[in-house]
Amino acid sequence: MFIDIDCSQMKKYNQNAYGDYFISKRYPDEAKLIAVLSDGLGSGIKANILSCMTATMLLKFIEGDQIPISKAAEIIMNSLPVCQVRKISYSTFSAIEVDDDGNAKIVEEGNPEFIWIRGNEVMKPEFRSIPSKTFKNRCLKVYRINFKLGDRVIFCSDGVTQSGLGGGRLKLGLRREGLITIVQDKLQEHPDISSTELAQYIVNQARNIETDRLPKDDISACVLYFREPRQALLFTGPPYHQEKDAEYAKMFDNFKGKKAIAGGTTANLISRELNRPITMDTTISIGKLPACSYMEGVDLVTEGILTLTKTLEYLDANTPDIDNAAGKLVKFLLDSDCITFMVGAKLNQAHYDPALPIEIEIRKNIIKKIANVLQDKYFKKVNIQYM
Amino acid sequence: MSEKVSVKVCLGTTCFVMGSSNLQELIDTVPKKYGDKVEVSGVPCLGLCSIDWEFSKAPYVKVNDEVIKEATVEKVLKAIDEKLK
Repeated sequence: MFIDIDCSQMKKYNQNAYGDYFISKRYPDEAKLIAVLSDGLGSGIKANILSCMTATMLLKFIEGDQIPISKAAEIIMNSLPVCQVRKISYSTFSAIEVDDDGNAKIVEEGNPEFIWIRGNEVMKPEFRSIPSKTFKNRCLKVYRINFKLGDRVIFCSDGVTQSGLGGGRLKLGLRREGLITIVQDKLQEHPDISSTELAQYIVNQARNIETDRLPKDDISACVLYFREPRQALLFTGPPYHQEKDAEYAKMFDNFKGKKAIAGGTTANLISRELNRPITMDTTISIGKLPACSYMEGVDLVTEGILTLTKTLEYLDANTPDIDNAAGKLVKFLLDSDCITFMVGAKLNQAHYDPALPIEIEIRKNIIKKIANVLQDKYFKKVNIQYM
Repeated sequence: MSEKVSVKVCLGTTCFVMGSSNLQELIDTVPKKYGDKVEVSGVPCLGLCSIDWEFSKAPYVKVNDEVIKEATVEKVLKAIDEKLK
């Protein structure tokens, strides 16, 4: 199973820093994922520091594997200081550790209870309570759940459940019930909605019911969706051993999932081996990138290094929806969960001519950088094969 | 002459940075000038830079079977004129 995870956040109005902190990391070797959402007391910079410290420390504790997640959470709960003014704890948190088979451990302290949806019904999981020995008002909830294909899990900060509080229509705010209704209605409409879209939708809905649409608290929603992975393959660069072209073309053809080619020579290779003509986009390329081409059975064909360099730039800066070849490649990559790169190791000497007016990166390096940003920032599963 | 003249502008990496991005204007201007006697299109890569790299003659354009090295709009138009003679 693939776990599609994303978090959407909004700041309290008039603040310039997020008071909630979300952090997530995949561990491909252990086929697991850890995510933490923490809500710092107050708002702005102070809350940002508190929640950031809590979330990152908890993540480090859990990934260390020295102690179980419940113990790690208990230690944090017992040691979080008390705010001198409000006499409550510095921050609240929710954390999940889950493997690809859906075996999950969840801990919660102070955040609204997470919502687990299966077949658009809300499930009621059992939990174990661990009261804090040092603070009477703190209590940890520990869950062990086996998630199945199609399940969804929603974590949120109290900014979501308390949105609209004290306003005209919802005297007590949105509350858990209101949030469940919003989510169920959306899922009824779009059963396959991605975590990114659902998280954004929740946050926007929460904002919309606030008076004057100004968030009175930081709003965060983190969504997990267990589903079949969407596979994608990107073939770039001609293989080092030319005699194996036919073999690689066959591998490319046999791949089940979406396919893209980045590189003129690579496109010619596939075209020749599979006997499929290439047609070039007749529109003049926008900006500084060559236009896309088209080939039957391939979802996207672009130029190589320049487009890849620009793609990395867009991924880094988080600027999707740009109407050029790199923008299309960004969309191709982000619309997939598991991405395989077939990277040809052959060098084109002409690219290293000092007369070339711009810096052209080595293909291997740029692919490595793209893979890293896809993994770390967009939580994709990436696999690189050099040929 | 009944055969159409085919013009292929290489839009591979080397040619593109060496100036074929400017040659794309041919896609617009040539049909205006010659009508349907000439067909202009971009191609992903003509594969010439990797053979000819020591002399660095990119960008390349192919007019029928003739390869134009260090192509410019003027050179390409001249080649088309010759083919149409």
